[in-house]
Amino acid sequence: MNSNYDVLIIGGGVVGCAIARELSKYDVKAALVEKEADVSMGASCRNSGVCHAGFKYAPGSLRAIVDVKGNAMMDDLCRDLKVKMKRIGKLTVALNPEDEPGLHKLKERGDANGVPGLKVLNREEMQKIQPGVNGVAALHSPSSAIVSPYNLTIGLAENALANGVNFHLGQEVVAIEKKPEGGFVVRCKSGDAFETKVLINSAGLYAAHITDMLGISGFKIYPARGEYYILDKRLNGTVKCLIYPAQSKSAEHSGGGGAHLTPTVDGNILIGPTAQYLDDPEDYACTADVMAQLRREGQAILPAMRGTDFIRNFAGSRAKQTPPEVGGNADFIIEDRKDVKGFINLMGIESPGLTSSPAIAEMVAGMVKNHVALNPDPAFNPVRPGRVDFFEELSAEEKADLVAEDPDYGEIICRCEKITKREVLDAIRNPLGARTLVSIKYRGRASMGRCQGGFCVPRIVRLLRDEFGWKPEDFLERGKTSPMFVGNVRPKGGAA
Amino acid sequence: MSTTKELTCVVCPNGCTIAVELGADGKILVDAEGKPAIKGSVCKRGDEWAKQEVENPMRTIASSVPVSGGDSLMASVRTNRPIPLGKVMAVMAEVRGRTVTAPVAIGDVIIANPAGTDTDIIATRNVAKAS
Amino acid sequence: MSEKKGIQTVQRDVVVIGGGPAGLAAAIAVKEAGVDDVLLVERDRVLGGILNQCIHDGFGLHRFKEALSGPEYAARYIQSFREKKIDVMENAIVLSLTGDRVVEVSTRGKLQYIQAKAVILAMGCRERTRGAISIPGSRPSGVYTAGAAQNLMNLENIMVGKRVAILGSGDIGLIMARRMTLEGAKVESVFELLPYSSGLPRNIQQCLNDYDIPLFLSTTVTDIVGKGRLEGVKVAQVGEDRAPIASTERFVPCDTLLLSVGLIPENELTREAGVEMDPITGGAVVDDTFMTSVPGIFSCGNVLHVHDLVDWVSMESEQAGQHAAAYVKAGAKPAAAGAAKVSIKPGDGIRYTLPQSVSGGQDFILSMRVTAPWRDRTVVVRNGEKSIRKKMVRLHPAEMIRVKVGKEVASGGNAMEVSVE
Repeated sequence: MNSNYDVLIIGGGVVGCAIARELSKYDVKAALVEKEADVSMGASCRNSGVCHAGFKYAPGSLRAIVDVKGNAMMDDLCRDLKVKMKRIGKLTVALNPEDEPGLHKLKERGDANGVPGLKVLNREEMQKIQPGVNGVAALHSPSSAIVSPYNLTIGLAENALANGVNFHLGQEVVAIEKKPEGGFVVRCKSGDAFETKVLINSAGLYAAHITDMLGISGFKIYPARGEYYILDKRLNGTVKCLIYPAQSKSAEHSGGGGAHLTPTVDGNILIGPTAQYLDDPEDYACTADVMAQLRREGQAILPAMRGTDFIRNFAGSRAKQTPPEVGGNADFIIEDRKDVKGFINLMGIESPGLTSSPAIAEMVAGMVKNHVALNPDPAFNPVRPGRVDFFEELSAEEKADLVAEDPDYGEIICRCEKITKREVLDAIRNPLGARTLVSIKYRGRASMGRCQGGFCVPRIVRLLRDEFGWKPEDFLERGKTSPMFVGNVRPKGGAA
Repeated sequence: MSTTKELTCVVCPNGCTIAVELGADGKILVDAEGKPAIKGSVCKRGDEWAKQEVENPMRTIASSVPVSGGDSLMASVRTNRPIPLGKVMAVMAEVRGRTVTAPVAIGDVIIANPAGTDTDIIATRNVAKAS
Repeated sequence: MSEKKGIQTVQRDVVVIGGGPAGLAAAIAVKEAGVDDVLLVERDRVLGGILNQCIHDGFGLHRFKEALSGPEYAARYIQSFREKKIDVMENAIVLSLTGDRVVEVSTRGKLQYIQAKAVILAMGCRERTRGAISIPGSRPSGVYTAGAAQNLMNLENIMVGKRVAILGSGDIGLIMARRMTLEGAKVESVFELLPYSSGLPRNIQQCLNDYDIPLFLSTTVTDIVGKGRLEGVKVAQVGEDRAPIASTERFVPCDTLLLSVGLIPENELTREAGVEMDPITGGAVVDDTFMTSVPGIFSCGNVLHVHDLVDWVSMESEQAGQHAAAYVKAGAKPAAAGAAKVSIKPGDGIRYTLPQSVSGGQDFILSMRVTAPWRDRTVVVRNGEKSIRKKMVRLHPAEMIRVKVGKEVASGGNAMEVSVE
């Protein structure tokens, strides 16, 4: 495959997909390459799903600017893309009087950054928001929100695709040539090559690999793994808003927020993340000691939690620019490189990358204009078809109407999350053509509940075989390297 | 040289631990009064089971065969009587080569006399024709 | 309940939720007891529940005095169910249940509400997962619960792997060890955290020993290795505190890990209806009529407590069905209304008892499980001065114990206690 583009984005995380969607507003030939079988397979599906208010970052820093701006853009964006988002607010809690001055400092910072509605609350006021929460005072940030990070990434990608951006999944970039006349040839492991005038490095954990390929020195990413527990929906509602302890020294060093409880838009609660520097950016293993620590800490904050409430663990990696001995966070780098014309470089987009993604995308589009003309495309449609809520979340009347209209809504495939056959079929017929079990899971939520697919995976398998003729070898968990099955028990199997 | 073989009896829920003394030929030793060296069971049925289990263990085995034209892909099957443990793999080899066509009814003989065991492989599931 | 706009509400005497062995037996018993208006709701396309995938033999030794396979055992009940022309909705799921017994059911093309006089919960159980027991490691493909692998293999003709390790010596794991071996897979080992097996002795012999598959007790999986497909697991022996001993850790190469680490009664609907739960069984608290704390809601089978044998599930559910029918016939009043209930407390050596209380008006079967394996002990049921003693050659946590308690022992007093002596 050889394709010529005006703009090529490397990396299908939330930032890459937000840039793709931003560029889809213009009459420009754009594409995105992603090494995995789907978008949102790295840090974008492995985080807390928090849309940060932006009071923590140094005034004037890029992080402060793009976070506050991105946060403000999120309501309209999520509405258009049919992505679940809830402005539940956040309490940053001072556990003792010595921590209280820190809250006022945070408020000053936030005010300077333009964060709306910040208020320091006394104990009584904060307990009105979250009954029973410990502490003497808290900074309340009403613009803090939760969002489904993978649904946002998928929504951005699908809308970009609908508006003309090409997505090349399963294409791992292995070499980049600078053409003498300007522009680039991007070569992939598959043997395919893509030519482009403008190249955008949104490779996240692998961003420094891309700069290395271009001979640009001086960048290095230090992956820092964070581990999580996911809790059963039984506890839905017990955590009403985001609650963080006023920053401890150790959490500050790790550059993570410190382990805490985060409700998700789907009604689960996350415990985590921790922070641990590693050499391998994709070492997503969960480790016994950290898991034990999370169980202890979670139990301390949420006494109602029981052993049976643990449904899954996961881990993600932060793309940090600061080595372990330095710690903390460096500011984002978003630059239109002068030394390599047409190369737009994004480096160290860790937290708050999710919140900032739409603002980063606008900023990057502004840089693209330095190289190619961006004329608005009058046919651009910002709205993604579909519905925000899952069937299970609708009113009884809405459910009855849907079931009467389309019988596939009456059949439940995933019993824990009550995901219907229609929703699973929609997930597998996704416009990006992602065909893994994880692709179905992130879009349709099937197998994300307490039985973790024990019940529905055989049913999904049957559905895909009956509807699409899939063979055992076609079922992949995440991609080609994670086949689910080895074949038929009886190769000359029966036929329906 | 004798060896002791310990078995957990499966005849009833008591689950007795039965010790059987075996001679060099693998046969159960017999004492001066002609009684076999079987100890630990609380009933006679246990002794009989242990003797059988040591000399020629018998097993019922189950598997599935593919069905064409059925409302289900597989029909489960089993031997209608226990077969010698030593014949299990030979019987499985015959099961592996077998396919059936719907309809299938419980009790249908799928393979007669597999591996010369003088038993039948019977269907244990009803499979109707695909509608 | 307020009538929902555009949604049909129908009235029923008895609704049975679940068409596995418990639901089938309960529905048949309701009908046989003379209540005709009974509806069974089953979420699968076919009746029989998990028995359909349990193709091995050994079912029905107590109920039918025969060793049947799961599908055959189910077929006997299904035939009787069909002959009695009991109403059934297949491929239908209960979305919600209220304390006043309104059942929200969704099927292809229709969502409706059913107001029932009595509801029998028979939803069965689900398997404990990797997440629930917090196994560390990465997340490759090839990690399955044993029951899911069994379903894929026996119903969908799919082989999940070729080189297998099994964590947990529960019966499904043992059965799958044999099944996969017979189909050409290499089963490396079975690992069990506890110092004793949690499966039946018969299955240890016939599924592991027959095929030289080693069982390592007091051993657990400490790490799952592999980024794409599973490459292997690390295992280690555990101390008395059940914590892994680092020096004993070793790597077992395999492409598949099956988990057979316990079953959890599936009680989401039960909780939704406000039924009081027993934290030990994970099921409802019931009296000797199998009625829960919510009048008119009954529970039986594995949703009430996990059984070792399906025969006991059937027998228990038949009783639950009879009591539900009696409740409806008595004008939706408990048979022993007004009678003070006698609670039953698990004492030394007893993990739980079922039921948790009795009305004292009738003989009943007391089911229980013990906390550890023992030999030559006595199970003692005490109510004040009165007691029943049952000598047991073998007691094992994997096996349910059933003791018949006469009403003369069950009546009077305010608490019974069961213990192992």
